[in-house]
Amino acid sequence: MMIKQFLFVLLILVGAPIVGGLLFGIDRKITARMQGRYGPPFIQPFYDFFKLLGKEHIAVSRMQFVWIYGYLVFMIASLVFLVMKSDFLLLVFLLGFAGVCLVLGGFSTKSPYAHFGANRELMQILAYEPVLLLLAIAIYAQNGSFLISEIFRQDKPLLFTLWPLFLAVLYVLTIKMRKSPFDISTCHHGHQEIVKGVTTEYSGPYFALYHLAEWYEIILLLGIISLFWTNPLWVGILIALAAFLLELFIDNITARMTVGWMVRLSWSVGLILGIINIAYIYYTKGVS
Amino acid sequence: MGLIQRSRVKSPWILHFDNSSCNGCDIEILACLTPLYDVERFGMVNMGNPKHADILLITGPVNRRTARVLKNLYEQVPDPKVVVSVGTCASTGGVFHNCYNVLGGVDKVIPVDVYVPGCSVRPEAIIDGVVMALQKLAKL
Amino acid sequence: MADQMMAIAVLLPVAAGFLVLAVRNYYARNVIVIATAIVLIANSILLALRGPFTYTPSGFDWGLLITILDYAILIFYLYVGITLRNWLVLIFALTQILPLAYFEFIMKAHVEVAPAFVVDHLALVMTMVISIIGSLICIFALRYMYDHEHHAGIEKSRQSRFLFWLVLFLGAMNGLVFANNLVWLYFFWEVTTLCSFQLISHDRTKEAIHNAARAVWMNSTGGTAFILAIIYLYATQGGSSALSMQSIIGGGIQSSIAVLPIALLCYTGFTKAAQMPFQSWLLGAMVAPTPVSALLHSSTMVKAGVYLVLRLAPVYAGTYLSVIIAIAGAFTFFAASALAVSQSTGKRVLAYSTIANLGLIIACAGINTPLSIAAAILLIIFHAISKGLLFLCAGTIEHQIWSRDIEDMEGLAAKAPLTTLITGVGILSMFLPPFGMLLGKWIALEAAYMVPLAAIFFVLASTLTIVFWTKWLGRLLQVLPKIERPFEKLSLSYSVPLWTLLIGIFVVGMGIGPIYQNFLRAATNDVVSGNQIIALGLNNLILITPSFMQREILGLFPVWPLYLILIVALLLPLMLIGVKPKELRPVYMCGEQTGGTDTDEWLAEADRKTKFQLGGFYYQGTLGEKRVNPWANAIAILLLVIMLGCGVIAI
Repeated sequence: MMIKQFLFVLLILVGAPIVGGLLFGIDRKITARMQGRYGPPFIQPFYDFFKLLGKEHIAVSRMQFVWIYGYLVFMIASLVFLVMKSDFLLLVFLLGFAGVCLVLGGFSTKSPYAHFGANRELMQILAYEPVLLLLAIAIYAQNGSFLISEIFRQDKPLLFTLWPLFLAVLYVLTIKMRKSPFDISTCHHGHQEIVKGVTTEYSGPYFALYHLAEWYEIILLLGIISLFWTNPLWVGILIALAAFLLELFIDNITARMTVGWMVRLSWSVGLILGIINIAYIYYTKGVS
Repeated sequence: MGLIQRSRVKSPWILHFDNSSCNGCDIEILACLTPLYDVERFGMVNMGNPKHADILLITGPVNRRTARVLKNLYEQVPDPKVVVSVGTCASTGGVFHNCYNVLGGVDKVIPVDVYVPGCSVRPEAIIDGVVMALQKLAKL
Repeated sequence: MADQMMAIAVLLPVAAGFLVLAVRNYYARNVIVIATAIVLIANSILLALRGPFTYTPSGFDWGLLITILDYAILIFYLYVGITLRNWLVLIFALTQILPLAYFEFIMKAHVEVAPAFVVDHLALVMTMVISIIGSLICIFALRYMYDHEHHAGIEKSRQSRFLFWLVLFLGAMNGLVFANNLVWLYFFWEVTTLCSFQLISHDRTKEAIHNAARAVWMNSTGGTAFILAIIYLYATQGGSSALSMQSIIGGGIQSSIAVLPIALLCYTGFTKAAQMPFQSWLLGAMVAPTPVSALLHSSTMVKAGVYLVLRLAPVYAGTYLSVIIAIAGAFTFFAASALAVSQSTGKRVLAYSTIANLGLIIACAGINTPLSIAAAILLIIFHAISKGLLFLCAGTIEHQIWSRDIEDMEGLAAKAPLTTLITGVGILSMFLPPFGMLLGKWIALEAAYMVPLAAIFFVLASTLTIVFWTKWLGRLLQVLPKIERPFEKLSLSYSVPLWTLLIGIFVVGMGIGPIYQNFLRAATNDVVSGNQIIALGLNNLILITPSFMQREILGLFPVWPLYLILIVALLLPLMLIGVKPKELRPVYMCGEQTGGTDTDEWLAEADRKTKFQLGGFYYQGTLGEKRVNPWANAIAILLLVIMLGCGVIAI
């Protein structure tokens, strides 16, 4: 049992970046098609990754490398927590640590652009973290446990009762995928942030690590979304993929908005959705 | 060709720097990004950040103010890197040659790998120049 | 043995204080303080090993002495009120003296509570926190005060006086957590207020005296509530048996009558724990030398407030009072965290964070399940360690750059890498997994659904917590590209407490499983019976649910795997990643930097060399004190009124 689980985790750890990288390739291809372009090959993110690995090391401070490792390792750890079906609340905190590492990586250089990006990334954490924490509490309210394994034991999908939070989580997905209108701290190809936001001072192999972390992150986020429908799981995965495509669509039809707008929207609409959701469950089920 | 070298050819990220051009060549570079030419097919992306770039596309003649900036930017691009001078002015100084504030072509300041002449350069020529630069990059 | 150990815990600091006051030699004083610290630490550990016991001092009329000292303290407040012409101090001194006199002379109360001291597991936890962390802060203060006076150019040293009050404070706190007799508890309560007044006003500046007076009058309102609660209990429950803490929490009084005095006592706890709307006295206390702040915030004073509220938890369990306490605490957690975001002074950020975390602890007491009470106790311990460390770091930084402003701390990693490293670990330990503070917050959140409104405040507040800590740590880390950065040398008096607390964070954090199993579980059971945490060896903390929906496992906290992740994520890269000089490049400044890698100058218009400056964001417009305070205070006062109203209606 232990060995089987260990192998499964290992498989996910190896498989996640491959699938994540491919998803980013699909992202670029579909985005290009939406803009009437041909677009790069699907495996373009892997070319980028290996190219970056082969570049020269250049540094502006030692600490920024430490933090990017922290970002990667905590992202992987969060994914392992998801795969092991462990505590969802702790997973959110671990994801928060990963975000904090990225912010501190930006702060640990004396670069005005990285500094800007780091401040904005921090505001993004402020925008998405409460929604994820509320999701954890709502899952508890629904299932009586914070464990992800408990979600899998339920016959009734979470989506039925937690659909307001599902909408809020879609909003979080836009922020975390760095898609318009929330590509505020840094963004993907084709767009121009203030230089490159929080990642401005990363280069070569360390920038490759950042990409690797993002691949893990997208799998993690889609995994969280698929928790909304776990029996059978393939429905959840389909929902997650649909959400992914929806994000690409939103990305291409919206413009970037300001940080303040993002936080205000998240703290009004996102939180109200979450609070209504929890209040509803509280009044229908109670606590005891 | 190893994996990394193959990837280098497939993923050229570009830093575009305008010395003191008339903006003709700059517009043509941007034209490369449009659906008609769509250089992203080849994995080319305009990065706007020397730390992420592999290829420097430089337009316009170097003047006394931009020489310093150009040198700084060049030093911030991690190896391996190639420099493409886009347009006649960037290659030789063009019509600005011998002007009081102009040093001349880009090669007066940093080593240039590919010269793309033209006033202004056609997008096809720019893409061709970058592909030549990539062949050089593959051998580095 | 109990005799001697109690005497050491309570009276030794007093004796050592007077000795320090008498000795004028710097080195002799250091020896006394360090010896006292070591004895106190050893004594607290021995006490903990010995386990709970009760004790009544004999052979002397201690009650009479305490009564006399009570009046002495209150008359001193009267004197302070009159000399400073601060009417609030005067009024609230009178509101304590008059009821006290009424109690003693008109009611002719004869209070005899046996046992006078009850040392249970919760008190043992508190005394360990007080003795160990408080003692370390006293050691830190030795050198700090020397540097402090040196820098200020003060001719006549007042260090003796400072250390007197500092050491005395520890004794008073120990007495406070042991006391079973409410009248004695009230006495120790007043002594801590007096100590804090003396310490806050130590620098004798106008601002310091003003703020100290505010601390006194705010805490005196709490003292007044305490006296009223004592009188009420004595009058309605008939006699001194009602004034025993153990009988109160053991259900020895009629619960319908108990609600008002309990609400009053909780109010007292709120004032001392600087809950909204009383936060201003703790913020004002920041003018004091940093060891005072460290002591007030980590192990003493404010912890007395949460201790009282936590201690009384079984009495108000299941009442509306409990829910209101949970909401009021959670609201303070949220509002103080929001206010902390807008602060640009390091110590004020720390102060708001303290207020916030005390709010969290009080909210946990209000939620009142075994899980939340365990979270509260864990938070008390971890908060004391981390916050003690951070205040000592703030003091160390202050004596390196002679400023408390976060903006002046920019790039501290270049000037003082060792201090930055310790501060960085301290900051991370406040809000991130796997550190103890997060463990506490995590348990609190998992328990919080019992009061959903509190849970929502927790969520918002813990997000804001991330923002202000990260912002601060980020300011320290901004450095120019450079390789050689040797660690600075710290005086032994600084480095010993710093390193001890730093190691303490990891030792207590990693060993929390066995520590909980052997020690804290019993402390939790002193407050509320039942157990919802199972610690499996060193590895896992498993939370199990109450009856709610019959799911067995509520949550899972793998302690050691998380520390392993931390090591792989940050410690190994920190040790292994090296940067060679030839790899260094300047940061991207559009190519306009003036030259080498370690320059922060760029060429502005007309080739003018300009140093570029970075600044932090403080969001004054949205979260500034001017904007938030009126709302926050109004809501907090409303909650207080409801809390006391619960008590009045219950009659």
